[in-house]
Amino acid sequence: MEPTVVAESLTKRFGSLVAVDDLSFALAPGTITGFLGPNGAGKTTTLRMLLGLAKPSGGSALVFGRPYAALDDSALRVGAVLEATDFHPGRSGRDHLRTLSRAAGLPDSRADEVLRLVELDGAAHRRVKGYSLGMRQRLGLAAALLGDPELLILDEPANGLDPEGVRWLRDFLRAFAAGKKTVLISSHVLAEVAQTVDQVLIINRGKLVVETSLEQLTARVSGSVRVRTPERSKLQDALMRERIETTAVNEQGLLVHGVGTERVGDVAFAAGVPIHELVAEGSSLEDIFLELTAEPQT
Amino acid sequence: MIDQARAELLKIRTTRTTIGIVLGMVALILLFSLLSGLLTKAPDLTSTEDQRGLLSVGSLAGVFSALAGIMLVTSEYRHGTIRPTFLVTPRRSRVVYAKLAAGLLAGIVFGVVGEGLGFAIGYACLAGRNIDYVLNGGQTALLVLGTLAGVALWGALGVGIGMAVRNQVGAIIGLLAWGFVAENLLFAFVPSVGRFAPTHASDALIGLTTKHLLPAAAGGAVLLAWTIAFAIAATALAARRDVA
Repeated sequence: MEPTVVAESLTKRFGSLVAVDDLSFALAPGTITGFLGPNGAGKTTTLRMLLGLAKPSGGSALVFGRPYAALDDSALRVGAVLEATDFHPGRSGRDHLRTLSRAAGLPDSRADEVLRLVELDGAAHRRVKGYSLGMRQRLGLAAALLGDPELLILDEPANGLDPEGVRWLRDFLRAFAAGKKTVLISSHVLAEVAQTVDQVLIINRGKLVVETSLEQLTARVSGSVRVRTPERSKLQDALMRERIETTAVNEQGLLVHGVGTERVGDVAFAAGVPIHELVAEGSSLEDIFLELTAEPQT
Repeated sequence: MIDQARAELLKIRTTRTTIGIVLGMVALILLFSLLSGLLTKAPDLTSTEDQRGLLSVGSLAGVFSALAGIMLVTSEYRHGTIRPTFLVTPRRSRVVYAKLAAGLLAGIVFGVVGEGLGFAIGYACLAGRNIDYVLNGGQTALLVLGTLAGVALWGALGVGIGMAVRNQVGAIIGLLAWGFVAENLLFAFVPSVGRFAPTHASDALIGLTTKHLLPAAAGGAVLLAWTIAFAIAATALAARRDVA
């Protein structure tokens, strides 16, 4: 099947700064891809080039086989959110969506549909100035969904969301991609997207560091966290609620997989479980990410 | 294109900015028309030129329609809505044409309201003070229709200025500094050049006969040329520049 998005030797220079450096990747239809890298790695610049907002200094970015600006029905095939704050503060959420749906040739009723979809129908007529950051994120998402797109591109969608919002977004994206649709979401925190994505593209300083499935990346996680606690089963329950995998070792001992010591300690603290020992064994997913994106040693 | 123009008109109608601009325009025209209609001595309101001056206060609407045009572009850059706008309509020239059309249409509304108000008050003041109305039919038509056309063109010109400058405060200050200061100095010191500048072309278009102004038809053509020049520049710049 033809890839939905293809970047080929994509490069962007700002003066002497190379923000995106010879970046190549392809996204298969029906996949959720996490686009990861530390702040300033070139993620947003790459997305802007994919979406026709910035011109590449070299290489090409194709969406459905064409440059975005040459797509005749871009609004009906691609939905994107680059900034969570792209609204006129004095315009209501519904009016914001209506201005975009009109330009896309869609009826106003479509604005009401997407407002219900992101559960903002209660605030539809309020001016955006009174929206919380989480509501703005959802309004941006609603705008991206107006044209019922096949490809969704979101830049740091989890920024500013509370844990419940992150969970909502995760469930939403899962349901969206289940319909054979493609999603590209960027983040500077692997943990934010680790439970959502099928594959990851990790970039650093504008260059592709690794392109792999999440499974393969997880397989690189060799270790786990060893915990000793008098309330083992209580901690195990608390970790399970956070969807963290554990293995009981003995009456007081527990092995926790895929997360760092900080996370385990936080969960234990929140659950009121006393910890007698907390040791990292091997490396976590986050360690691998940090390792891959670390500054090169000189 | 029609869809995009409808979207732009909706943008104009869905914030309080437009209401603010209209109220400012109404207040200013009301004030100036009443002041000059009531306080000017009767002998100074009898000639064609006197009455044309009084009845053309409505052409101030041009400043406000230019402001509305500027806001239609610069508020998108200021609040970042230009991103979703260009994502939905990636051919940026279509966005620019739609905004020019919307600016022109909004300008017609500003012109009708502003000139209607200014003319009505001016005329009522003359009638109330028993001063004979001396403009003939052709002069009256030129004044009213010329103002309407000028104010409408300023709406589109504002869109062009906004697209060239993008920064809201910069565009507004630029417009006011040019229109009220720089251009007047230019016209005062180098009238042969200054009369080709846009606000003096507008003055000519409505039939004002100040010394050195162009004839009305030429004034209209020059104002149209400015609008087209800015429209072309706006289209080219919008297509060329990256959006942050």
